[in-house]
Amino acid sequence: MYGYHDLPVDVEEEGISISMERVGERWVYRRKFEDEEVEKIILGTEKCLIINPVEPLNTPKEITPNLLIEFEKMLLLGAGEKQQIFLTFPVEIGIFISEKTNKSLEILDVLSLVKQKFTLYGEVSNGVVCKYWKSRVYTSPPSLNPLEEGVMELTLRNTSSEWVKISKAVFNAYGMKLYYDGDVFMKARMDILNKNSAETSFELLSPDGERKGALLKDRRARKEAFGIYGLRKLGLVPLKFYMGWGL
Amino acid sequence: MIPDINFFDFVLYHTSMNGEVYNVTLAALLKFVFILALSVVAARVLTVYLRRSLQDRVSKDVLEAVIKLLYYGTLGVVFISILPLIGLDPSGLLLAGGVAGIVIGFASQNIVGNLVSGFFLMIERPIKIGDQVDVNGISGYVSDIRVISTLVRTYDGLLVRIPNEQVFTTNITNLVGHPVRRFEYTVGIRYSDDADAAIRIIKDLIDKEPFALQNPAPSVFVNDLGDSSVNISVRVWSPVSEWFGLKTRLLWVIKKTLEENGIEVPFPQRVLHFEVEDKKRPQIIEDIKEAEEIENVLNHEERTLY
Repeated sequence: MYGYHDLPVDVEEEGISISMERVGERWVYRRKFEDEEVEKIILGTEKCLIINPVEPLNTPKEITPNLLIEFEKMLLLGAGEKQQIFLTFPVEIGIFISEKTNKSLEILDVLSLVKQKFTLYGEVSNGVVCKYWKSRVYTSPPSLNPLEEGVMELTLRNTSSEWVKISKAVFNAYGMKLYYDGDVFMKARMDILNKNSAETSFELLSPDGERKGALLKDRRARKEAFGIYGLRKLGLVPLKFYMGWGL
Repeated sequence: MIPDINFFDFVLYHTSMNGEVYNVTLAALLKFVFILALSVVAARVLTVYLRRSLQDRVSKDVLEAVIKLLYYGTLGVVFISILPLIGLDPSGLLLAGGVAGIVIGFASQNIVGNLVSGFFLMIERPIKIGDQVDVNGISGYVSDIRVISTLVRTYDGLLVRIPNEQVFTTNITNLVGHPVRRFEYTVGIRYSDDADAAIRIIKDLIDKEPFALQNPAPSVFVNDLGDSSVNISVRVWSPVSEWFGLKTRLLWVIKKTLEENGIEVPFPQRVLHFEVEDKKRPQIIEDIKEAEEIENVLNHEERTLY
């Protein structure tokens, strides 16, 4: 389903039906999933449809730019250690419309196949609302349904001089970079400052989107996904998230 | 012969500045008015530009405060700096302004009180533009915080102007002051129903609601054994922006789902015991037994009628 689609288009997968057909001098976009139906009219002729995974923060309503991933089991990391783990994260499917000539993009629709939940990170008086996801901790990338879940490669770095317990990680969507091919992938890091605080950020893959750390024969190029947050004209927004209310 | 009269050099009045006599001409007065008018236009252009360019990047309340400060600050600086054109010494004005301020302050305590309260409201910021508040029984959205007064748009669309002194000295409830907020229901079920099953069903429904927060966790528990029902308390936290929508939606969903599972919300009930003659007693007892079978509910308020 992911990728560029020339118009007209009609794709159906996992119960999602997406079509775009020409009616006179305009295009009609239709999307059906479960009970939900979306229909939009696009004026003009030279268009192209792009479907790719987007930041999991847009459905059912965009109320926060933060994603909290709770680990199924608590991790312990020794002082000064650096370890790599793999987590899962929820995927949202973004449908973009693009001009064929100048490639300017606009989001048309977003949907998600997974359960949506929000949570609070921090105190009631001054915490932040986050999209919530619970993940198992893997030592190698798990095989997942790319329409539902993605793989996050998380590098944990304990810069403190004591053991730390980690049960969650919070990320800021501004700076989130998703890549896709047969899977959906993103790479992040978590620098642990002390027992209660850490800083998280996202890392870019090498320019060709190659999967680092994989066997040579298994290497393949991933495409960089267009993000909804990436489309926005950003002012001075922090690309890192400071976890100051516990790990 | 026509006399050579230059109206612009016409002296309007004389003043004294730094011990020297200063002639205020018509040209100087026009220059004063022109510069003041120009600075008003320039300040307006600046505020419009700032509002357009910063509206997506800065929150509305901060933006409005910055714009007001810039607008009045610019006008104030320009006004003071061009006062010599009309023969007024700014330092003397400040001194006179200080004395006049005290006099005016005594004369107009309410206005000064509102002004000072407005100043402290802007510094302390217990409320911001766009917040939902309850001030002295007036609930709604804060649409503007001005120097003298605060404007509140009530939920039914009325605009209420509250003097800042009143806002500052009364209890303010900011309904969106924290990122999350809790609501509570009491759901009554029959004594014959399985309370554990009801709690399980309600917890499942809450779990399916995206905006019912995972943490702080919701709590569902038997809170009271009432006259006619077992009362279950349902407490749910939600993001403050979604609180009202979730609260108004979830209760009916709980009621419908409980009924679909055979758990009902009972009506208030009362058992009446009649004392009758011995010969009629067996028949009445039969009637009562029959009634109890139909309404298989324990009842708690008993009364004997004689």
